Amino acid sequence: MQTTHRCSGCLSRRHCLQIITTAAAGLAFSGEFYPALARSSKADPAFVDPTKLRPRPRVRVDAAILQQPRPYWLGWPGTTYNLDQRQKEYRGQLAASCRGLAIELHEEEKPIEDDATMTAFLKAVRERKPDGILVILQHMNCWSWVNRLAKEAGVPLVVFSPIGTSFTGHVAGVSRQPGVYVVSSLEWSAVEDGLRMIRAKRMFEETRVLWIQGSKRNETVLDRLGTKVRAIPRNTFNELFDTMPVNEEVKDVASTFRKHAKRVVEPTWQDSFNSARVYTTAKRLMSDEQANAISMDCLGMVSAKLVPTPPCGAWTLLQDMGVTCGCEADLFGATSLMLTSYLLDRPGYMNDPVAETAKNLLVASHCVSGTRLNGFGQKAAPYILRNHSESALGVSVQVLWPVGSPVSLIRFQDANQLIIDTGTVVSNVDTPPAGGCRTSVEIKMDNIEDCRDVLGFHQVVTLGTHRRIVESFCQLYGIKVIHSPEHRREA
Amino acid sequence: MSDMRELRQQSGARESERRQFRAGWSGGWLGILAVLFAIHLPAEVTFTSPGLPATHMDDQGRLVEDWGLIAVGVAGAGLPTTAPTTVQGLKLDGLIPAAQAQSRYGTVAITLTAFRAPVWPGGLDVLTIRLAETAGQETPVRLSLTLPEAGQIGLKTVTLGGRAVVGLPTGTKASQIMREWGWADDAVALPGWAKPSVDCDPAFQNIRAGVGGVPILYHFKVAPKAKVKALLGFCESFWAQAGQRPLICQVEGAPTQEIDPLDRWGQHRPGAVLFEASDENGDGTLDVCVLPKPGAPDQNPILNAIWLFPANSTPILEQVIAGKLNSNALRYVAVGGSNDQSLYAGGRLEYALTLSANGSQELTFLVACAGSSVPAPDNMAWTSEKLRQAAAAVWRDWR
Repeated sequence: MQTTHRCSGCLSRRHCLQIITTAAAGLAFSGEFYPALARSSKADPAFVDPTKLRPRPRVRVDAAILQQPRPYWLGWPGTTYNLDQRQKEYRGQLAASCRGLAIELHEEEKPIEDDATMTAFLKAVRERKPDGILVILQHMNCWSWVNRLAKEAGVPLVVFSPIGTSFTGHVAGVSRQPGVYVVSSLEWSAVEDGLRMIRAKRMFEETRVLWIQGSKRNETVLDRLGTKVRAIPRNTFNELFDTMPVNEEVKDVASTFRKHAKRVVEPTWQDSFNSARVYTTAKRLMSDEQANAISMDCLGMVSAKLVPTPPCGAWTLLQDMGVTCGCEADLFGATSLMLTSYLLDRPGYMNDPVAETAKNLLVASHCVSGTRLNGFGQKAAPYILRNHSESALGVSVQVLWPVGSPVSLIRFQDANQLIIDTGTVVSNVDTPPAGGCRTSVEIKMDNIEDCRDVLGFHQVVTLGTHRRIVESFCQLYGIKVIHSPEHRREA
Repeated sequence: MSDMRELRQQSGARESERRQFRAGWSGGWLGILAVLFAIHLPAEVTFTSPGLPATHMDDQGRLVEDWGLIAVGVAGAGLPTTAPTTVQGLKLDGLIPAAQAQSRYGTVAITLTAFRAPVWPGGLDVLTIRLAETAGQETPVRLSLTLPEAGQIGLKTVTLGGRAVVGLPTGTKASQIMREWGWADDAVALPGWAKPSVDCDPAFQNIRAGVGGVPILYHFKVAPKAKVKALLGFCESFWAQAGQRPLICQVEGAPTQEIDPLDRWGQHRPGAVLFEASDENGDGTLDVCVLPKPGAPDQNPILNAIWLFPANSTPILEQVIAGKLNSNALRYVAVGGSNDQSLYAGGRLEYALTLSANGSQELTFLVACAGSSVPAPDNMAWTSEKLRQAAAAVWRDWR
């Protein structure tokens, strides 16, 4: 059922067209996803800019080039290796990456080429305490310095060894050490991944997640990730929701969300307004509490009939803007969502895992999924507006995941341990005929013989194969990685 | 005009103060005495983190937790056995509520500082003990922490009824007197965990489990270089298939054995393995260690029983498993059961330290507060510095 746009709340028809055109063009993050929110309501003093909720930490990286005294003669990378040209190129790429990722770069002006300079560099690092170090190797004989940095620097270390500056023997040991990420390659994107890891960790540290459940108010901090967890009573949310008006922003959000849907099945306009009020409530609450994310006991609220709609639709909108909103007060489900957001710049969706035993597939099912599956700045996946299946209330989404695309399943078991598996989208499951949740995706798992053995619950599914970068992030920060068992468990 | 108004307001305020003072004075001596009495009462200080239950430090500088008290003392040649303590509240970094107790044992000054770190989910108290030598002379001292008698002292934590209540400082070895035998690890006792399906020694019903991969470690006092027959007993009651929890068993003087109890005896079936053991390094202690096999799906090692028999005996495994030879054993340990014990006597931690002339040393302990327990030391990233940073960050933004 396609619902026509009858929104009377938009500023003008021209404005609505602008919204649709902009969104369709795939301009997304930094306020472009739902321009109605970011633009038309800015005059409202109560407006909370959603793009400002995403954590923006100060990230500092110290960098140095390691080389041997010139001129080079025999020994890799070899006499023909153009040191000046390569170094200029790498310095340029490093500066560009740091600019793009909003990282403050402190770069050693001259390459380090003796023990004394390395000692001075280490001393400076200990004093400056950057969030990470990046070194670029320009000779095979520099590995002893890398080992020294790994041992003594006390901060995460990213090592770029362009092809021609190492053998397998050089990297085999140190590249597997906690606190170290080694790139032996010519692919600069892999080096940039290291910078992303450092930035992601700082984003975790900068994040305050509102844990909306129970009746207590307190604040604690997660081990290793450093994320602040502010517990607030569940009633805080529905009491604030009750005061939120159906204002211009609410109408804009509701109409935009409906307009871009492939279909609108159950939700009425009133449902959409309520869903948009959840969105404005969540933003207001995060702003008031200086928070950047939410993990809420939504099912409990629906069960107690405290709100007329579950937050599913609003959570989808916020996820697409890089603001983590997790279901069912599952705190480590929310931190798993943060990981896809902060490290991979894309939303994920936490799901209930179901075994499809006839086809040996995993069905990942929930009522909240981001739509910007390829990344916050990318085109949205098609979605159908549905109600929340378990309660038949409000607005949730069935996001149609691209069949044939690879996906990663990520789950923090706690702050010290993470599950990661990968697979491929086989199909999207409709409800009905299936029961369960609205976004429901069949996945053929890689390297797992039997779908019943997939580990975890509320794993976060995200588009793409991200096993290596996630594993590297975990190694850099001492998080233990586990995978689902490869072989079938005997009865 | 405004100056005049301000002066009148100030004058009025002073008059009001005088009236209040006169009223208080005429209110009787009782009130004054009560105030004076309160001023001279020894202090007691509470501290917490936003929204969490408070801990207090009592007037003797003892930390009072929901599980018991921690009292700190210092002993050494020429030092007095007791010292008066002053307790005060303060704010670390201008933000973090803390309690501080100061005492002086002759030339050694001791300062205890405690604050609440907002470790998710229930918080942790951080107790730092600073000892300082003040007379310019190197001084050996024994620092003691008195804990509840039932406290079981492990390698890195002290547990009480299965709850880890104190995390011990890294890099510092407790130096208290050891018992004849006992565990010296951070494994957890789980009485009744196993369900042996045949008649056997009751020890097979209990285990100690190295949750999170911590090794299970026992020491037995023996004559230096002594030889014994050691038997380790197992009963796997969780897994139903082999390969899930293979164990690496190391008994001093004997070849290491890899044992998968499920594979060898089946689920709920008790079994035992013999080791020709000896005090190989001649230190008068026989070491027994059970570790998880690296890479195995289940990294939580278990152990049900230990028997030590004379080297010249020939214990028959079936009889050992049935519990018929316990009285013949030099040692019989129902691991995680009623006769199990820590290597260290409960209730007291001691550290032998040498303070350099005018030097100082600091030890930091993590202490479980109401509703929390100390996380496994090998499985956390918290450091003293990070705990304090976390506390400051939380207080800075708390409203």
